[in-house]
Amino acid sequence: MKKKLMLLIGIIITAITLAACSGGSDDAGGKVKVPEGATEVVMWNLFGGGDAAFMKEIVDEFNASQDEIFINNIQQEFEEYYTKLITSVSAGKGPDLAISHSNVLPELVNQGLVQELDTYGEEVGVNWDEFNPNVLDSTVFDGQHFAIPIDTHPHIFFVNNQLAGDAGLLNEDGSVKMEQTPEGFVEFLTTLKEELPKDKFPMAFSTAGVDSYRLWFSFYSQLGGENIVTDDLENPEYVLDVDKAIEAANYMHDLWYEHEVIPLNLADFYADFQSGNAATMSTGVWATGTWEATEGLEFTAIPAPNIFGKEAAFGNSHTFVIPASQDAEPEVQKAAIEFMNYATDKGVVWAEAGHIPAKTTVVESEEYAELPYRSDYAEVANYVNFPDQTVHARGIQDILIRNLDLIWTDEESPEKAFELIEQEVKALIGG
Amino acid sequence: MKNKSWLQDMKAVPFLIPFFIVYMIFTIFPVIKGLEMSFYDWSLIGKLDFIGLENFKVMFSDSYFWRSLGNTTLFVILTTPTMMVLALGLALLANLNTKIQTFFRGAYFIPSILSVAVISFLAIFMLQPYNGFVNTILHSIGIEGEPFWLADKYLAWITIVVVTLWWTVGTNMILFLVALQDIPESLYEASEIDGATRWQQFWYITLPQLKPISKVILLLQVLASFKVFAQIMLITGGGPGGATRPLIQYIYETGFTQNNLGYAATMSFALFFILLILSIIQLRPQRTGES
Repeated sequence: MKKKLMLLIGIIITAITLAACSGGSDDAGGKVKVPEGATEVVMWNLFGGGDAAFMKEIVDEFNASQDEIFINNIQQEFEEYYTKLITSVSAGKGPDLAISHSNVLPELVNQGLVQELDTYGEEVGVNWDEFNPNVLDSTVFDGQHFAIPIDTHPHIFFVNNQLAGDAGLLNEDGSVKMEQTPEGFVEFLTTLKEELPKDKFPMAFSTAGVDSYRLWFSFYSQLGGENIVTDDLENPEYVLDVDKAIEAANYMHDLWYEHEVIPLNLADFYADFQSGNAATMSTGVWATGTWEATEGLEFTAIPAPNIFGKEAAFGNSHTFVIPASQDAEPEVQKAAIEFMNYATDKGVVWAEAGHIPAKTTVVESEEYAELPYRSDYAEVANYVNFPDQTVHARGIQDILIRNLDLIWTDEESPEKAFELIEQEVKALIGG
Repeated sequence: MKNKSWLQDMKAVPFLIPFFIVYMIFTIFPVIKGLEMSFYDWSLIGKLDFIGLENFKVMFSDSYFWRSLGNTTLFVILTTPTMMVLALGLALLANLNTKIQTFFRGAYFIPSILSVAVISFLAIFMLQPYNGFVNTILHSIGIEGEPFWLADKYLAWITIVVVTLWWTVGTNMILFLVALQDIPESLYEASEIDGATRWQQFWYITLPQLKPISKVILLLQVLASFKVFAQIMLITGGGPGGATRPLIQYIYETGFTQNNLGYAATMSFALFFILLILSIIQLRPQRTGES
């Protein structure tokens, strides 16, 4: 009897384990109640924190505003988002609507994972002229629209008003007193260094990683550097202008080592600015929302100093895409585009997170002008230099970040670092 | 009789099947699939091109492969001996017949139950420059300067090694401790009668008795250390400038940021063979010793 019982338990365990392996729904959507008669559009989004809340607000408003379309907004973990999106779409189990950064679009377009939006866009009534042409351009491949941009989020510059004021670097109207030249920017920072008490420092910035890469790319673009490689999906050519690249890198290197206006290896440069220890910092526009919510922090947000002549900045954008699917229903896809159009019209809500809305009609609206800070840097959208349109964009960025770190940590000369970059990028795009 | 024992054995089957199936699906099958992938130009969504041994050829001339393999090897060389000595030392302390014996055992073991994310965050938090815990202490005892524990390529290695030792020494200490308590008391009593000193007892009784467990720990330690990834990824991100990037991180980046899964699989197999050879070398003398 006992033995039979054991056997039974064994069989049950086997059954449960097998069920656990084969089980699970293959539906990309979660379990929510779709209103009767409404078309359900499953949307995957990669946002976290404030971004997620504002996107949810837009979705909720849209769902409440009509009863024909229901957007099922599903939050995905950002770390694995693209791996998951790419694999599920290619397995035919993707969502009806997804968010993608514009620098990932080339990969999606090249693999045929996203659908062009011109045909349905016209039917639904998307007016491409409402978008900022520079931002829109990063979503166009071979003359076709493959995404609807939500925003652009460039790298900008933040100033602590209190500290800048103490150092006499604010004009009477509250604007920042800085000459937009290489020398002017250094002088601005050295003045802060001289005028501020010992426990404060001129600029908080990271000595490694993605932010230093973005500022370097901004300066490189201001010097007239256009690309790292040519805009070619699969077979780009290496076209980095090495003189300009080195000039921009040397300039940044000196901020740490020659002028000593940025302390080396800060553990958390956001915290240093937030706590009022640093007079300035540079990062993406999203920080605007964070500083706003910080009590007692009075700040100014301005474009990253345009000191090398040409106006330019590093930036990326969030976009809406429609994953390609063989058995897609036109009705669902059109509903998705309708939502895209609605959401981009609601750019003022999205701008609360700090991003610059992609629609010029939104940026020029009164509501947008009433938002604090945002208008002071909205112009950057016109001159963001987006990452090159190639499937290797993310790999190239990794290579640049890792090798630029060698310069920032004083391990290698810029000349040597860019030699390494050239070798590595060429191996990546050629292979 | 024979028939009956066969039946007896069959009763184990239902209990083994669940594990066996899971093991086949999630371990053996991916290993075989991985070998297949290493012969292909295989991207994330499986655009396949059979390229034979091309990936292996590329690997042998890929300086980043050798550099990251070098980093991993350096990690093994730095951590393994120190780990053995430290674990033994702590085990001896925890084996002392004192009132705070439990405290010793608990204190050394606690870090082992923390997750890698927690210990990495603690390390970053304690070692940050300007106002970090360690640097503040250094300043307060009069040491000038600002050591960059995470950003200097030499100090970053020290950081990773020390954090790893602190995190994982507990498990090895427990293994040593168990072995220590297995040593028959009579050996010590006999040696005492013969007039052996404490040092002689340690050298001629304790150490030889610990030899089998030491071999096991050495093997486990080398295998585990070759697979180092998470704490380095979280503490230094492989930086500064790739100076601490281990092989697994390079494999991960190749596979999932460059979408080159074929080449990533190739390098994984290279690591697999290195581990296989090391295991064989270490297991061989043990077998002959036993027989």
